[in-house]
Amino acid sequence: MSLTFLAPLFLIGLVAVAVPVIVHLVNRERRNAVAFPSLMFLRRVPFKSVRRQRLRHRALFALRCLALALLALAFARPFLDRESGNATAGGGGPREIVVLLDRSYSMAYGDRWSRASAAAERAIAGIGGADRVTLVLFDHEATTAAGPTGDLAVVRAAITNARPGAGSTRYAPALAVAQQLTDRSERPRREVVLISDFQRAGWDGQELPKLALPATLTTVDVGDPATANTLVTGVDVSRDASDGVDRAIVAARLARQGDRAGVAARATLEINGREVEAKQVALPASGAMSVTFAPVPVPDGTTRGTVRVTGPPGDDRLSVDDAFHFVLAPAQVVSVLLIENPGAPANRTMFLPRALGIGDSPAFRVMQRQSDDVTTADVDAARVVILHGTGMPAGAPGDRIRTLVRGGGGLIVALGENTGSRAASGMTELLPGAVGEIIDRSPERGGTMGSLDRNHPALESFRGARTGDFTSARYLRYRALSPAGTDAVLGRFDDGSVALAERRVGDGRVLAFTSTFDGYWNDLPVQPVFLPLVQSLVRHAAAWTPQRASETVGSAMSVSDPAIRGELVAVTPSGERTRWSEEDSVRSLVLRETGFYELRDVGAVAASRIIAVNPDASESELGAFPPDELARAVSPPGSTAATATGTMTLTVAEREKRQTLWWYVLVLALLLLAAESLLSNRLSRAVRRDVALPDGKMNHA
Amino acid sequence: MFAGRPNDTGAGTSFIDPRVLAKIDNLELLARTVVEGFINGLHRSPNLGASMDFAEHRAYMPGDDLRRIDWRLFGRSDRYFVKEFEADTNTDLLLLLDVSASMDFGSNGITKLQYAKYLVSCLGYFSSRQRDRLGLVTFVDGIVNYVPPSARHLRIVLQTIARATASGQGSIDTALRQIAEFARRRQVIVIVSDLYDEPERVVRAVARLRNRGNDLIVLQVLDPAELDLPFDEASNFEDMETGESIPVVPGLLREQYRTLVQEHTATLARMMREERIDYALFNTAQPLDHALFAYLADRQRLSRIR
Repeated sequence: MSLTFLAPLFLIGLVAVAVPVIVHLVNRERRNAVAFPSLMFLRRVPFKSVRRQRLRHRALFALRCLALALLALAFARPFLDRESGNATAGGGGPREIVVLLDRSYSMAYGDRWSRASAAAERAIAGIGGADRVTLVLFDHEATTAAGPTGDLAVVRAAITNARPGAGSTRYAPALAVAQQLTDRSERPRREVVLISDFQRAGWDGQELPKLALPATLTTVDVGDPATANTLVTGVDVSRDASDGVDRAIVAARLARQGDRAGVAARATLEINGREVEAKQVALPASGAMSVTFAPVPVPDGTTRGTVRVTGPPGDDRLSVDDAFHFVLAPAQVVSVLLIENPGAPANRTMFLPRALGIGDSPAFRVMQRQSDDVTTADVDAARVVILHGTGMPAGAPGDRIRTLVRGGGGLIVALGENTGSRAASGMTELLPGAVGEIIDRSPERGGTMGSLDRNHPALESFRGARTGDFTSARYLRYRALSPAGTDAVLGRFDDGSVALAERRVGDGRVLAFTSTFDGYWNDLPVQPVFLPLVQSLVRHAAAWTPQRASETVGSAMSVSDPAIRGELVAVTPSGERTRWSEEDSVRSLVLRETGFYELRDVGAVAASRIIAVNPDASESELGAFPPDELARAVSPPGSTAATATGTMTLTVAEREKRQTLWWYVLVLALLLLAAESLLSNRLSRAVRRDVALPDGKMNHA
Repeated sequence: MFAGRPNDTGAGTSFIDPRVLAKIDNLELLARTVVEGFINGLHRSPNLGASMDFAEHRAYMPGDDLRRIDWRLFGRSDRYFVKEFEADTNTDLLLLLDVSASMDFGSNGITKLQYAKYLVSCLGYFSSRQRDRLGLVTFVDGIVNYVPPSARHLRIVLQTIARATASGQGSIDTALRQIAEFARRRQVIVIVSDLYDEPERVVRAVARLRNRGNDLIVLQVLDPAELDLPFDEASNFEDMETGESIPVVPGLLREQYRTLVQEHTATLARMMREERIDYALFNTAQPLDHALFAYLADRQRLSRIR
């Protein structure tokens, strides 16, 4: 236990003790001179002396000095730092100390990080030989940076090397680590020190891992009372190719958070690291706005884009979120080879190309061929092949289609009149089941779609309510299909017959629709659900995934790239490399830095894929919650509030507030001053009775 | 002997605070203000009216001698007029004003020198009205300024008084010795000083003039602080004339100091009286006109005015 001060600067006031000393000394030498006409009579008055005056005045002097010193002490707000006292005293047996140090990017605000590092240093200062320390750095995940160890130098080095990252605050992982460490420990005293800015965004009130007694939690709040932050919360990129040139229109959302007034800021758009446009914007206080840049032509290949916002110098103390990175990729096109039955009339083959001709995410390039004139080049250029009411083309094209499917391509088969069991025999290994006879539902005016597996990825776009009315279409005919046990049935008609089934072949997908897309066997093509259904099936068959303009720090993503079969390397924005060998079946990457990640073949120079990564915007919201709320949530359920909070010294200011020692010191100072007045009066009266030295000199102290 | 106090005022009469007088720069105006306030009706000069040379009529004022009313004029005008006569006088009035540094002391807004200046101005103006010849000597340890007596010297006297400043270490003995050398003619001599000297030496010096046939009036001017020593804080007291200083705790010395001062003034008064020298103590806290009024009335009562 040691005496600490909340406002140690007030101790400068101790200099005031010098005032009575100076007054004492000056008064001894300097006396007020009174001009008097004549000393004729005064000189005749006999003088007497005060011999005990000096001694008495010293007591008075000491009283005054003590009162002034206590006043200065009271203003310095003293308190007993029991925490550090415990640390240094080391009483009660060896300790297990877990220091949880928040390294989310909001800790880079102002001088938070230096304060947090200092707090971590303080937390481990004075650990004894038997004590053990673990330093856990956390943001959205927790990492043990040092320990458990009794070697202070190791922990100190880890604190020194630690830096705020780009992650967002999550308390649960850190507390889970703390819980494990304290639960495993056999030391009688277990202390968890949580150093954070206690952002509201970091804890939404959900259940947190609870510490078990005798573990205690000490929270150290390094947040700032008033904050200001200017940031780019997101970017929307829309494409415009109306005049034949692919242009991107970038609209950025800018926000200002915190307590300060609005500012004039500069928003810039950078394409491939070069500034192409700058705009002056007036950001409102605690508000957001949108700024749209002029359309920029999208170059070939993947383009890196960044929107930056720059506020007045010194205004924004958090720079991580001032830039938003994104990727401008060339428009994605899925090539579809539509193979029709030879001699099929145009009015039966027009629906699919039209349905696929609409849309740009992705765009579909449809090559319409008849089964007898399809070439291998056609198949090579396609990603998805649709066999519409026809069997597998004979010869090389058919083989190429099989290869395509096994290599990750897609095949959609619409079983029609001409896709009987004989025609289907050429693709038995591809079709999800055995093709049967035609089921004619025309006597009962057609059947309807009975059930759909809307959770299947192929029908994912219909997962939401009212996203597609499949019951309005009437199906007059369809073929029976008997799927194997490994095949997936996506939909059935109202009579239980299979309507849609899928089989995975190699890396590819084969979808079989037991009716047609031509309007003869059903009226599906004229139903509103036709277009999204067809596009959804083609996207699924092509294994198409939308390329996101940007990712968020903390997300893990698969980096499997069909184009890269060999060794793959990922280069982080800071230049670190991660390699995956050919044998690695799972290639995933956790994005921990902001900026652009590059994926490339080990031998290649150019990146095959660029991923833009931005910090989680919720971390930019710097509002804080009271640390004691979290402390209560973490405290053991059986413990009383007093036990829970009694051991938790929340912040230095709160510790001081609870003790209010300054009040007692101030009262003591006032009592001393009152005593000084009394003593001074008594001394004055005594002096009047008994004054002056025999030689006529007097003491006026 | 008169040693008036500020509250010792005549009923129904209002007196002028010395601090108010201090705001009047013109000494003649000041003297007139003070003198005119009480001279009519109170003071009956033996000279005024003793002559048979008619000077003028003036309106009767309460207090005027009824015998001096011009009844004939009353018969004609039905109003009371008093006849004034040109006074014959051959008396000189020599004002001796101490301008030593100690006179520059004042604790209540007016210094002793200022008060003394008003006093001699008033007396000068007063005697000038009586057609006396008026002269002035300012002195410290010797003569500083000398204006020889003349019936037309009022203005010069007042100007000299106005210009006088206090400085130097005074010695009334030396100064009066010099004055005695040229003041051979019998005259009324008024000495205004704080008389910081041994009573014996003061009286001896004054008596020297007295012995030459002069009518001596000694007016001692003292500040209330000099009489009471009202200071509280222990301080160094510095002599205004010598610069010498001694540490003093006034609270402890006050009673003894007062006793000494009272003994001093009493001794002066007693010795002056024995030498038939007119003596009065003026406290600068007193209204000047009241002090003059009281003093002159007293003097008249004792029939010592020439």
